[in-house]
Amino acid sequence: MTSPLTDVQRRTLDELADTLIPAAAGKPSASQAGVSGELLDRTLAAVPAWTEPLRGILDEAAGRPADRFVRELRTDKPEEFAVLSLAAAGAYFLNPRVRELIGYPGQEAHPLSLAASPAYVENGMLERVCERYPGYRP
Amino acid sequence: MMTNRGRDDAAEVVIVGAGASGTVAADALSAAGFKVACLEQGGWSNTADYLSAEPEAELSWLGKWNPDQNARRRAADYPVTGQAEVRPLMYNGVGGGLVQWAGMWHPLLPSDFRVRSLDGVADDWPIGWNDLAPFYQRATRDMSVSGLTGDPAFPELDYPNPPVPIGKVGMAAARGMDKMGWHWWPGSNAISARARHNLQACQRRGTCIIGCPENAKANGLLTHWPRALDNGVRLITEARVTEIPLDAQGRARGAAYVDREGTERLQPGEVVILAANGIGTSRLLLLSASSLHPDGLANSSGLVGKRLMQHPYQTVTAVLEEGIESWRGPWGQNIYSLEFAETRPENDFVRGSKWNACPRGGPLFALFDHLTDRGGEEFDRVWGESFHRASDDIFGHSFSWGIQTEDLPEERNRVTLDRETTDASGLPAARIEYRISDNTRRMLEFNMARAGEAAEAAGAAEIIVGEVWPSGIGHNLGTARMGDDPASSVVDRWCRTHDVPNLFITDGSVFVTAGSVNPTATIMANTLRAVERMIGARREQETS
Repeated sequence: MTSPLTDVQRRTLDELADTLIPAAAGKPSASQAGVSGELLDRTLAAVPAWTEPLRGILDEAAGRPADRFVRELRTDKPEEFAVLSLAAAGAYFLNPRVRELIGYPGQEAHPLSLAASPAYVENGMLERVCERYPGYRP
Repeated sequence: MMTNRGRDDAAEVVIVGAGASGTVAADALSAAGFKVACLEQGGWSNTADYLSAEPEAELSWLGKWNPDQNARRRAADYPVTGQAEVRPLMYNGVGGGLVQWAGMWHPLLPSDFRVRSLDGVADDWPIGWNDLAPFYQRATRDMSVSGLTGDPAFPELDYPNPPVPIGKVGMAAARGMDKMGWHWWPGSNAISARARHNLQACQRRGTCIIGCPENAKANGLLTHWPRALDNGVRLITEARVTEIPLDAQGRARGAAYVDREGTERLQPGEVVILAANGIGTSRLLLLSASSLHPDGLANSSGLVGKRLMQHPYQTVTAVLEEGIESWRGPWGQNIYSLEFAETRPENDFVRGSKWNACPRGGPLFALFDHLTDRGGEEFDRVWGESFHRASDDIFGHSFSWGIQTEDLPEERNRVTLDRETTDASGLPAARIEYRISDNTRRMLEFNMARAGEAAEAAGAAEIIVGEVWPSGIGHNLGTARMGDDPASSVVDRWCRTHDVPNLFITDGSVFVTAGSVNPTATIMANTLRAVERMIGARREQETS
């Protein structure tokens, strides 16, 4: 399979993404989380429409100060900024360690437990709705 | 009298569209012994195609399972262009919008049928709640809806399943409504709380709108099509209908379509039902203009494509100190409120809104509004170290009140043909003009303020106020309204077009007004009502 980005583009992405998501609050930075590698490939496989605009952004950013470039992109080209920032955040949240740190188990299956009498019935909350609601307009 | 039984390819009834309405029509007509062909421009969805059980689940919402057809860019979808403050969404394929719907299930309120009489605006429907009541009940059973009977906000409706647990999200939202003294009720969703018929029990995965891998969310693919196919319905997929041709007497003689190889074909039929949603049906009627119908088929009233209603939608997000597992489903609605659904004399607007409290999904969903800067925040308040603060504070700690408003029908809000942009078959795109009215703006402003109070009462440490969703919520209604007067409506009370005696429209196009609740229950119930009438009146039906 052809790689969606060149090595240079991936290095540029690391720089830009670290401006958006630095290491802080006990969390890794974007580059520490590996957003420019396999996680990005998976992100672009899920959202192929981002690939071309992302290449263009990274080529334009190459060699320029990352912080300034990202801030100007957000102001001047919000649609391109959305691609860059959502791709970085999307890849970041694919990292298992990041998920663990934020307490996210993923969209897992969690079999239902149907209570015989839900709490809102037991504590009278729903009964109060019936008592106070004036009824529908016929 | 219908006579096409003996021909191999000819059908007694041709249905255009295999979404919520076409599904119901195909099922009911085939069960009554009719020879039915259904043309669907998309294909089948397969549970294996969903990424919902993968780490990339949320990303798929921005890619293959993007709810916006313009972003999804599948060959089955046609472009929707134009200047619109709210843009229509749709899914073209077997099951239609139900493939990606959230499953929220509501009958219209009795007052929704009498808007002109009660509030002096828009128009009354030619039918009322009682006309639909038995069909609401049937549709609710067919869709294995989970809910709690007894909501005092509308007449009684029995649900075949108990409500799905409202979870920590629902309890937090309900706590706020309890403090405010406002109406709320456990969510009614076409998401099966138990294994029932072809549906499995909900696993609370929370990926309803990007595909339910458990097959717990009701969808015609599971609830109706297996039976309809067993009954002998001929479902032709990847068949894009291009025109409804007429015979010498001006009756529909079937549907012309382009098949998957690009070959032009005719599906003959004695009766034609259009069920292609509030955008697709009017697009097809306009594409079917002829010397007999120069402004579009069945358009002597001039109303085809006009009066588009979409339920403008806005959210208030409550961010709580406590964790409420807000990635967990269903999504679906955990609870809903009809507190502000009726006109109140003290307000500076008429009609009302329905609220639904929903989870916020995983981190990308939960932070999406924040990261995409809908509130115009400074860079450093969103990115940099703030990114981590937001993910700690918002993700897992928030729920949203979705405010769904009743927009009144206005002729300026409409569907026309865009001959500059075409679909994969070279047909003109649907062009939309839609402006939010002053009445709806005032309604949104009032309800957003009240939802902020409800969020505060629920204990919100922070409240995030969203903007009106520009991409809409996929409720495409009103563009071929029902009525008794041919001069001011497109179909009669039985959904037969006034102009063409064997052409019917059964989708959301026929809504006279939109109400504020989710429309699918009414689309399905009304289709059942119309089709039952068609079956009962089969001997009198004029055919091609």
